[in-house]
Amino acid sequence: MQSKTLQQIRHVTASALLVAGVGLAPLQVVADETCQSPYMAKIVGQEDFVYVWTLGVEGMGDGQDKLVTIDVNPKSPNYGKVVHTLSVGGRNEAHHSGFTDDRRFLWAGGLDTSKIFIFDVHSDPAKPKLVKVIDDFVAKSGGVVGPHTTYALPGRMMITGLSNNKDHGGRTALVEYTNDGDYVATHWMPTDENLRGAIKAGKYADGYGYDVRALPRRNVMVTSSFTGWSNYMMDFGKMLKDKEAMKRFGNTVVVWNLHTRKPKKVLDVPGAPLEIRCAWQPNHNWCVTTTALTSKIWLIYEDENGDWQAKAVADIGDPSKIPLPVDISITSDDSGLWVNTFMDGKSRYFDMTDPMHPKQIYERVIGRQVNMVSQSWDGKRAYYTSSLLANWDKKGEDNEQFFKAFEWNGKALEPKFAIDFYAEKLGRPHQMRFGAYSLYAKAPAENDQPARVAALTE
Amino acid sequence: MTWRLPLIALGLMATLAMADLEPLAPGYAALPYAIPQPGSYTLPPIKPAGDGVVIDAETGKPVSLHEVLGDRYALLAFFYSHCDDVNGCPLSMFVFHQLRARMAKDPELARNLRLVSLSFDPQRDTPEALRAYAASMAHTPMGSTQHQHHHHGHGGMGSDGGSWRFVTTSGEAALAPLLSAYGQELQRNLSAPGQGGGDISHVLRVFLIDPQKRIRNIYSVSFLHTDLILADLQTLLAEETGAQQGVADGTAARRVALGPGDSREGYEADDYQTRSRDLQQHRGRPADLLQFARRPPLGLPPLPAREGVELTPEKVALGRKLFFDRRLSLNNTISCAMCHVPDQGFTSNELATAVGIEGRSVRRNTPTVLNVAYLELLFHDGREDRLSQQIWGPLLAKNEMGNPAVGHLLNRIRGLPDYAGLFEEAFGEPLNMLNLGQALAAYQMTLNAADSPFDRWHFGGEEDAVPSEVKRGFALFTGKAGCSQCHRIEKDHALFTDQRLHNTGVGYPASVPSKKQTERVQLAPGVFVEVPLEVIDRVSEPQAADLGRYEVTEDPADRWKFRTPSLRNVALTAPYMHDGSLSTLREVVAFYNRGGQPNPLLDPAIHPLGLTEAEIDDLVAFLESLTGSNVATLVADAMAAPIGDPGGIDQ
Repeated sequence: MQSKTLQQIRHVTASALLVAGVGLAPLQVVADETCQSPYMAKIVGQEDFVYVWTLGVEGMGDGQDKLVTIDVNPKSPNYGKVVHTLSVGGRNEAHHSGFTDDRRFLWAGGLDTSKIFIFDVHSDPAKPKLVKVIDDFVAKSGGVVGPHTTYALPGRMMITGLSNNKDHGGRTALVEYTNDGDYVATHWMPTDENLRGAIKAGKYADGYGYDVRALPRRNVMVTSSFTGWSNYMMDFGKMLKDKEAMKRFGNTVVVWNLHTRKPKKVLDVPGAPLEIRCAWQPNHNWCVTTTALTSKIWLIYEDENGDWQAKAVADIGDPSKIPLPVDISITSDDSGLWVNTFMDGKSRYFDMTDPMHPKQIYERVIGRQVNMVSQSWDGKRAYYTSSLLANWDKKGEDNEQFFKAFEWNGKALEPKFAIDFYAEKLGRPHQMRFGAYSLYAKAPAENDQPARVAALTE
Repeated sequence: MTWRLPLIALGLMATLAMADLEPLAPGYAALPYAIPQPGSYTLPPIKPAGDGVVIDAETGKPVSLHEVLGDRYALLAFFYSHCDDVNGCPLSMFVFHQLRARMAKDPELARNLRLVSLSFDPQRDTPEALRAYAASMAHTPMGSTQHQHHHHGHGGMGSDGGSWRFVTTSGEAALAPLLSAYGQELQRNLSAPGQGGGDISHVLRVFLIDPQKRIRNIYSVSFLHTDLILADLQTLLAEETGAQQGVADGTAARRVALGPGDSREGYEADDYQTRSRDLQQHRGRPADLLQFARRPPLGLPPLPAREGVELTPEKVALGRKLFFDRRLSLNNTISCAMCHVPDQGFTSNELATAVGIEGRSVRRNTPTVLNVAYLELLFHDGREDRLSQQIWGPLLAKNEMGNPAVGHLLNRIRGLPDYAGLFEEAFGEPLNMLNLGQALAAYQMTLNAADSPFDRWHFGGEEDAVPSEVKRGFALFTGKAGCSQCHRIEKDHALFTDQRLHNTGVGYPASVPSKKQTERVQLAPGVFVEVPLEVIDRVSEPQAADLGRYEVTEDPADRWKFRTPSLRNVALTAPYMHDGSLSTLREVVAFYNRGGQPNPLLDPAIHPLGLTEAEIDDLVAFLESLTGSNVATLVADAMAAPIGDPGGIDQ
């Protein structure tokens, strides 16, 4: 019996190799793919679609938030075109979106109304369907406002809040839902009054939230901190001149025990740390974030004693000019980091091979303003959108609203195509997520190219 | 670790090492991090565990999955015997092997846990095939403990008395609802087209199910590990017996504290430290509000009868419910209390000027509603004189609560089940435009806050109620500084307002050209930059100038006139002035000491005061002595108020 088992296993291994040979990528090269949850299937080949969660603009088109589907497969007859739009009703401050772990549904949050829109993206990846709207998030969660990141955990979604229904300030919580859209639990951010078992490592424990990422192999979850409803909904210029409002930004990163959902350590990271990306490589026990106001790259890393630390490792542009770093995107091998700076419209590429000393080696102006960047698994394609927040975007002629596709050849970004979201009466494009027929073992109806196979990961 | 790596894993690891393939899942080795302390955390129920008809491989008979799961905790793994991903089904087999070995050593664990492997390949995994598969699993060498316990093998499914059950289904029709219930979507791999029963792609999930058939954890490849499962199981068992350790979040405490929950005092300095309060811990305490209207605290006169609202507990309670109901705005985001925040002095300490629906800009600072029932003129420009009417301003303003019409809002409230009968009970009639305003007025008419240290000294005759600097400040306030000309103090009470409007010049500069080139912007504690206004302008909507009273009267002489606010509780209501442009009371006193902001229509009462620094200190001390003793009670009551949100009331 023992030998039979071993024989079976050898067969299994041989099959695994074969499968790898035909396209199943090994785990360690997992790469917007590069900002997805590690629990999720990744698109390892050419993505077919980019889903753009888009803010409605009053008086433009139908004025509503919508999910815009763009065909990005060069082999498709619709390459470079908007192939589908789906209006959801209202302006909700459409912001981020994320797939469930099985990647069949896309959850897209509204920071203003706290609604979460759940789209079926697997039945027909070219035509997402709105299947559920969670409109009682605030009541269910016990007062959390502003669902931001919708991050896949096994069978569940971890949702970061930005605010609360008591004062519209920055104190908030993480909220857990099932993939079916049912509430599970609220995990409040640690505050001075109740650190919830965490250690306050420095001067701050503000209880603010923004993004979340997990590093499962270290049993670690990391959250960052932005600001409350009053600020993220406010006219940007008005806020910059409001001395009180400018005091209400997050200055912390919290390291959590992923399994127990208990905060372990509150780290000082002053100046509104926003997006978090964790390294993919098995020995890279670090995550990276950038501070929007103080314009720095911070490394959140596990030191030789197994303790988690935060360190400012690089300036982004000239911090005194407030370039406002916004979205970031890490390469699948952790060697590079795209950092977008909203105010000067630049995308900057940092060499991260020494994560303690990142160096900017390339930059390109994408537009008069730029926010999100998403890159493909292989890093060869990068997509950009322009909108930051409805009332933070530039005004007047600087208010370009676009989706732009580029190719990255390792030296320069080469433009492929662009879509003017205002000319198309669509609105303000924000977060991008990739779709592919291969994820659902489907082929596009209009051609029968071989399906590409996705890697199933953690 | 006492267990030895079984051959199944050793064989795999050797092969994989040669092949340089994917790393083995953590479940195959020692946990690379500390095992969570069982009972130190909770595992909230995730969802009901789905049921369906399965075929027990042992008997070949149909049985419900719940029956197979039994009356104990269960781990349910979907698998198929031809699975060829080392970090897929074989991992769940491996971990189940380990658990079975533990169960063999630990009778209590064996009593409390069942392992269930459910095939999602009914075509190939027939009951017969599964029996054979199970037998091969059962005899995989797992270390010496296994052999000491094979007398347990009476169940026939291996050596564990049936604690590991293999089940399959009669076919795809029976399987589909189970897959759906557990979110286990499958794909037949298209890379092998035309081959029946090709590889199945699936995301490995193992479910921990409690005896009540609720899913309590869902394990993936990255943390399907024996030690974690055992820690979770012990955590759930501890929960059953109420023996959790250190789980307490302090949520039971209903604390009350004065001052903002997110104080940023001292934020300008490098050494600023947070003193954040915990939202979850401050759930308030209801109070008898009516007492503050019937017998206003020391220092306040009887309530004026202007509103014509006879206060009752029902009206006050209804008004309080409305005041905190975010559903009173077009898109359910703004209640009265979102700007008049109780623990921020019933105003907003976090904003110079308010932010309304969809983030729209409001030009003016949120005034406090404490003692608002005494005001003869409402709004900074004094355009309203009844609270019951005033509410329609913010309710209908496009940049505040955004309701498109009176009728729309009334119909909306009529449709909310939690308001059923409340207006009838309070007013003897259904909801209408008038009684909505009266209800909100009724609550606000109770928010009377006085009996401050100043009141106890000045009106109560308690000599020790205030220190000497307050007394000196009072002398300046009523003398050299001339404050009481407008912020009036009567013989037996003080409202600290003359109920009139004045031009202090605060609004003037925004109406005339400015030479200012930069704005000093704070980025973090102790971090400031000078930002060119040209940069700020690019991200700014143009802001209309604020002409104050003129906008109501269109009388040029009324330009830049604003209502004299009461100074009661002024220490709690920063920032100051109609535009929130001054952050501290000291800045306010310094502003008046300079003689306000010169402009052609400056109020004659405003002129340079020649106060010394010590005198300014005394005046500030005086202003800080005006905080009512019952504010904490009002705040605590407000924090206990239900907050209306779509889908429910968060209490």
